[in-house]
Amino acid sequence: MVLYRRTRSTRLLVVSLVMLSLMTITVDFRGGEEGPFAAAGRGALATLAPLQAAVSRVFRPVGDFFTGLVHVGSLKGENDALREEVERLRSENVEGVSIQRENEKLLALIGLRDQLGLEGVPAIVIGESVSNFEWTVTIDRGSSDGVEVDMPVVTGEGLVGHVVRVSGRAATVELIIDPESAVAGRLVGSGETGLVLGDTDLRDLTMDLVDDETEVNPDERVVTSGYQGGLYPPRIVIGSVSHVTGGSGGVSKVVTVRPAVDFSSLDIVLVVTNHRAIPGP
Amino acid sequence: MRRILSWTVVVLTALVLQSTVFSQIELGGAKPELVYLATVVLALLEGPSSGALAGFVGGMAQDFLLNEPKGITALTLTLLGYGVGMLRQYIVTPSPLLPVVLVGAATLAGVLFQGIVMFLLNQLDVSGFYLLRVALLTALYNAVLTPFLFPVIRRVAESSRVTKVFRW
Repeated sequence: MVLYRRTRSTRLLVVSLVMLSLMTITVDFRGGEEGPFAAAGRGALATLAPLQAAVSRVFRPVGDFFTGLVHVGSLKGENDALREEVERLRSENVEGVSIQRENEKLLALIGLRDQLGLEGVPAIVIGESVSNFEWTVTIDRGSSDGVEVDMPVVTGEGLVGHVVRVSGRAATVELIIDPESAVAGRLVGSGETGLVLGDTDLRDLTMDLVDDETEVNPDERVVTSGYQGGLYPPRIVIGSVSHVTGGSGGVSKVVTVRPAVDFSSLDIVLVVTNHRAIPGP
Repeated sequence: MRRILSWTVVVLTALVLQSTVFSQIELGGAKPELVYLATVVLALLEGPSSGALAGFVGGMAQDFLLNEPKGITALTLTLLGYGVGMLRQYIVTPSPLLPVVLVGAATLAGVLFQGIVMFLLNQLDVSGFYLLRVALLTALYNAVLTPFLFPVIRRVAESSRVTKVFRW
C-alpha cells in the first residue's frame, strides 16, 4: 500500500514537472525577446558571469594546452625550420608567450578599428555556451559599459558575431558559425553579394544566393557588404573561399567560406558601438 | 534545506565548468553535458522522484543561460531523471561499470530527444547525421568523465541526506 502511494506521488510529481516545462516552453516561445522569462534569463547571465570570469581566468592555460593538443596532428608535417621554431618557443616562458600573443591580438584589433573607423568597447571572452546546439560566447562587458543588443562584435582577424543578450556586466554574443546566423557578405574580387550562413555540418560558413555567372576564385576574401540599416558595418573580413559548388543551369552558386576568426581560441574582442542596425518591421 | 543547497552547488558547478573549462576541451566538436551527468547520477543514487526534480531544476537553470526557448532542457532532464531512477529499481548488478554505462546511454537518449524537440520547434537547423554524431560524442565524453565525477556527486548526495536516529 505504501509502495503504491509512493509510486503514485512520484508519477504525480513527474507529470507536474513535465506540464510546467511544457508551459514554460509555450510561454517563452510565444513571448520571444520581450517575454516574461527574458528578464530571468538576463538575471541568470548576470549571476553566472562573475563565476565564469573567475574560473576562466584560472583555467585558460589548461584550455590553451588542450587546444594545442588538438592541432598536434597537423604539426607532424611541418618542416625542419618550423621544428626549430617550436624548440625555440618551448624554451621561452609560457606566460611570456601568452602575453605576446595577447599583445599581437590587441594590435590587430587596433589596426582594424583604425582602418574601418570603428569605435567600441574591448571585452574579454569569459565563457561559452553550455549547450552543444548553440554557438555563443559570454563577454565581460554589459549594459553598464554601453553594450546593447544587436551590436556587432569583431577581433583583429575579422567578424565574430553580434550581441543577442545583455545584462549589467556581461553579454551573450551569437557567433557567425551558429546555424541561426545570417550575414550579408560580398566577394572582394567580383563584388558579388550573398548571404553567409552558419553551417555546423561543414564546420565552415556557407555563402548562398551567389549568381551562377560570378567567377569565384580560391582563397578569395569575403567581407561584410554592410547594406544600409544592416546589422554589420561594411568591409569587415568574414573569411576566405574554400570550395564552390553549383552554378550550372541557372542555379545560384554555393560558396563554402573558411572563417577568418579562430573560434576555438577567442579571448579579446571589440564590441562595435558606433554602428546601429535599423530594426525590421 | 541542506539537500537543496548541495544540489544547487552541484548544478551551478556543472554549469560553470561546462561553459568554461570543458568548452575549451571539445571532443570532435562536442562538449560534455555535465548537468545531464549530475542528473543521471542523482537519479541512480536517490531514485525517480529526486532524479526528476534534480533534472527539472538543473535543466531549467541551463535553459535560462541559453538563447532558445526556456524549458526544453528541463523537459528532457525531468524525463531522463525519472526514467533512470525507475530503471535503476530493476537492475541488480553490483558492477562498478553500471554508472558509466547508464550515464553514456542516458546522455545519448537525452541529447537525441532534446535535438528532436528543438528541431520540431524550428530551433535547430542541423542534419540528422550531425545530431547523431554530437549525441554519440557527448555520451562518450560523459561516460569517460563518470568514474571521476561519480564519487564526488555521491559524496555530496550522501552528506546531504537526512539521517534519522532512533533512540530507545
